[in-house]
Amino acid sequence: MLVVLRDGRKLHGVLRSYDQFANLVLEDTVERIYSGNAFAEKWCGLFLIRGENVVLLGEIDLDQEDEVPLRQVDYNLLDSHHQQEIANKKQRDEMKAKVLFEQKGFCKEGGEGDGY
Amino acid sequence: MDPSSGIQEPFDLIRLSLSERVFVKLRGDREVSGVLHAYDGHMNLILSDVEETTMIVDVPADGAPAAQPTVSMAKRKMDMLFVRGDGVILVSPPSRT
Amino acid sequence: MLIFSVFKTLTDQRVTVELKNDLSITGTLKSVDQFLNIRLDAIEVMDPYRHPHMMAVKNCFIRGSVVRYVQLPAEHVDTQLLEDATRREAINQARR
Repeated sequence: MLVVLRDGRKLHGVLRSYDQFANLVLEDTVERIYSGNAFAEKWCGLFLIRGENVVLLGEIDLDQEDEVPLRQVDYNLLDSHHQQEIANKKQRDEMKAKVLFEQKGFCKEGGEGDGY
Repeated sequence: MDPSSGIQEPFDLIRLSLSERVFVKLRGDREVSGVLHAYDGHMNLILSDVEETTMIVDVPADGAPAAQPTVSMAKRKMDMLFVRGDGVILVSPPSRT
Repeated sequence: MLIFSVFKTLTDQRVTVELKNDLSITGTLKSVDQFLNIRLDAIEVMDPYRHPHMMAVKNCFIRGSVVRYVQLPAEHVDTQLLEDATRREAINQARR
């Protein structure tokens, strides 16, 4: 099973149990990171995941997995790329929030013409 | 309480907007306008003939300090849309002019 | 409850779920529960190269709380019925 968490992490493991809140127990878990056309894995072990942090649970199709055009590389090799991408995205998002806030402060709220 | 308006609580305003076009402001720099067909106590909405507007900020590449980030709007149309209530900031009924 | 019922009537239809992390997934709606958690079969991800982790996934469960929108098949939604049901539910809520 693939589990995507709210912080963007992707975990692969064997789903051992779950409940109505989507609390999960995941065994033999690896964390996967992706960058460009490569991915890498890090061993994590046994996890209990609180449901509110779960975005999505996906069933991996093993036949389809062989077709995926990505190559596996060493985790330490990809980790710095991956961290850089996260940092870049964070910076872009902050910039966007700042620009929109400034713009909203000046004209956007007035420009909507609600009058309510 | 004014019996002629029939509005005693906030949700009455939404109820009176059923089958009318409403404007909805959402979290994440989004707005939608569409015809309201259903809502519930979480402010989950079902709208039809929807136009969504998202704000896009293009930040110029580094090394061009004079360049200003540009803001543009992307529009998208959808036939029938469920909007989850936790993203709703405000619902504005059609202007009755 | 009303929205839950609407989703139940749409099981086995193709819907597109847009998540708060901007991932859009189209799939066949297999089931839904009271929290609006959604199970989709035969999924297709928009922009798969931006979400490479989804490439090998065919069925998934989406937690209701991370959904932003669900695009519904308009031809399978009776808008008149929806509005009547919404008014009824609003009256029931007011009586409490």
